[in-house]
Amino acid sequence: MHLLPGLMLALFEGPVTKQLAHLNAVDIAVIAIYFGIVLFIGFYLKGSANTSEEFFMAGREMTAWIAGLSFVSANLGSLELMGWAGSAYQYGILATHWYWIGAIPAMLFLGIIMMPFYYISKVNSVPGYLYLRYGNGARALSAVSFAFMTVLMSGINMYSMALVMKVVLGWNLNFSIWVSSITVALYVALGGLRSAIYNEVLQFILIWLGALLVPILGLIEAGGWTKLKAQILTNVGNTQYVHMWSGLGHFSDNPMGVHWSGIVFGLGLVISFGYWTTDFLVVQRVLSAHNLRAARMAPIIGAGFKMAVPFIVILPGLIALSVLPFHLVGESQAVATGQHSYNEVLPLMLVRYCGPGLLGLGVTALIAGFMSGMAGNVSAFSTVWTYDIYGAFLNKKASDRHYVSMGRWCTFVGVLISVGTAYLVQHAASIMDYVQSLFSFFIAPLFGTVILGMLWKRATKAGGFWGLLAGTATAVGLWAWVHNDPSAVRYVALSPDARALALDMYRALWSWLVCVIVTVVVSYMTPARPVAELEGLVYGASPIPQEHDEHWYQKPIVWAGAIAVLFIILNIIFW
Amino acid sequence: MREALSIWFFAGVLFFIYGVVITAEGIWELSHPLVHPPVLNSLHAPIWWGGLMFVAGLSYTIRFWPRKLR
Repeated sequence: MHLLPGLMLALFEGPVTKQLAHLNAVDIAVIAIYFGIVLFIGFYLKGSANTSEEFFMAGREMTAWIAGLSFVSANLGSLELMGWAGSAYQYGILATHWYWIGAIPAMLFLGIIMMPFYYISKVNSVPGYLYLRYGNGARALSAVSFAFMTVLMSGINMYSMALVMKVVLGWNLNFSIWVSSITVALYVALGGLRSAIYNEVLQFILIWLGALLVPILGLIEAGGWTKLKAQILTNVGNTQYVHMWSGLGHFSDNPMGVHWSGIVFGLGLVISFGYWTTDFLVVQRVLSAHNLRAARMAPIIGAGFKMAVPFIVILPGLIALSVLPFHLVGESQAVATGQHSYNEVLPLMLVRYCGPGLLGLGVTALIAGFMSGMAGNVSAFSTVWTYDIYGAFLNKKASDRHYVSMGRWCTFVGVLISVGTAYLVQHAASIMDYVQSLFSFFIAPLFGTVILGMLWKRATKAGGFWGLLAGTATAVGLWAWVHNDPSAVRYVALSPDARALALDMYRALWSWLVCVIVTVVVSYMTPARPVAELEGLVYGASPIPQEHDEHWYQKPIVWAGAIAVLFIILNIIFW
Repeated sequence: MREALSIWFFAGVLFFIYGVVITAEGIWELSHPLVHPPVLNSLHAPIWWGGLMFVAGLSYTIRFWPRKLR
């Protein structure tokens, strides 16, 4: 029964450390079946990825449901699953803000307001929209930063997953990294975005099936939500672990060290809108929709599912606070003392409740989460590289076939750079923090540039470029200031009690504001573009195609309204 | 000629197979108890969770089985 995993691990040199759980033959079979299916999908869809429109945009044939599930799934990587479960253990229910206010309003805004402009302009990427609206300068800045950061983030995700698999299951790091990345490279290179999307939908459902048992059994063990809260209060001695808003009046009143203004304006209005409406990793999925109505419904459907994700990510972290007989610690302390770290809370809870078969399903869910995130990263990377860097600046007149070939090779290159990053992080863990900070540098100002471009006809090419550059420089400058002088946090985050997450929110807010101000000022100093050139790109200069829904309840705005009401109710319930 | 395989067909097949494997494991455990059972093992989660996947997987496989093109 235990021979098979032993043989597989023997393929990769390296000692197997002490581990928390053993997988038996049934678990291995469950994992192997999953790998077989995802590869089969890649080979099956190879014939449907012959033109660049098919390879990079999935032929723009996806339904609202498929695009919507893929939209959420591409974001649900291993850091998202295991990292936020760990944050829930560390900070309590406050971590839910990153799923609700940090996602839902932005997703609804994308569907209702922004999607028509992305869709009717027929762009292939977010940098592609910037090119049409602001010219090549803004496109180049955005494309290069996105391509670079995407593969680096993919590598960090890879390393995070491999590390947890090593600690919990004793899997060799090389084994986890290479097997999963080669599989992703194969199915994305073969079937392009369509293959990535099909697998992401499958992975999303699998994540739910594999992880849902933990909160169900956890709530049964804890005796229900009320007893769970009481037990957390007993174990932690702080009521703020189960309240989302009531402790946000001051930075020192809650375990996360954040203030409501940072959550609402920094996270809810800037970081969240920046990520969900301008990060091409997620926007690409929606652009693959088969018509405008599907493109508008996809983020709304995604928002409905995103709102439910805390049930399988945050709740296990809270249950762990109540039922685990030992305490989890930070990563560095875990390495030094041999204890388990916060990031291992989800696998630990899987091991607690799942026997043979179900444990394999849970581990498959974690692997699926990693693979969906990585496939999202590499497919977006290959599209931006091919369309917005290679095709725009290096080789403008190549054939369609050549660009498809470039996209396939780029997928492998993207995976290889990700693998390289994973090994780099293994030897210099601090790189992980730097890269995550770097990623946040670009998101907030990019949102300022895109939203002004879509809603304000007067924004000019020079305004867009200099605004984006100034916003990014502000984010870098603020980060460097606090990095060199930690006491500067009192100015950047408005309080000496603010902690890292609060700092991120305020840095994003200031960089977005600088971007908007510089864009407006420079735009007024430079000649406006003729309105005729802005058709299909800007609100007020573009006739939005009318959608004819048979019934009122089929309208995207009705669904968005229903999701918004549910969002408000949930925040009040867990206030 | 048959129509192209739907993503929901792939999902149905995968969950049907998982349902069979996990339910079978749960039934096997009734007569061969685990040496180190997980918490709440008495609820026999593999049987009902596997059964649920079996039923859902089977229905999706049948519903989205590729039809012949006319």
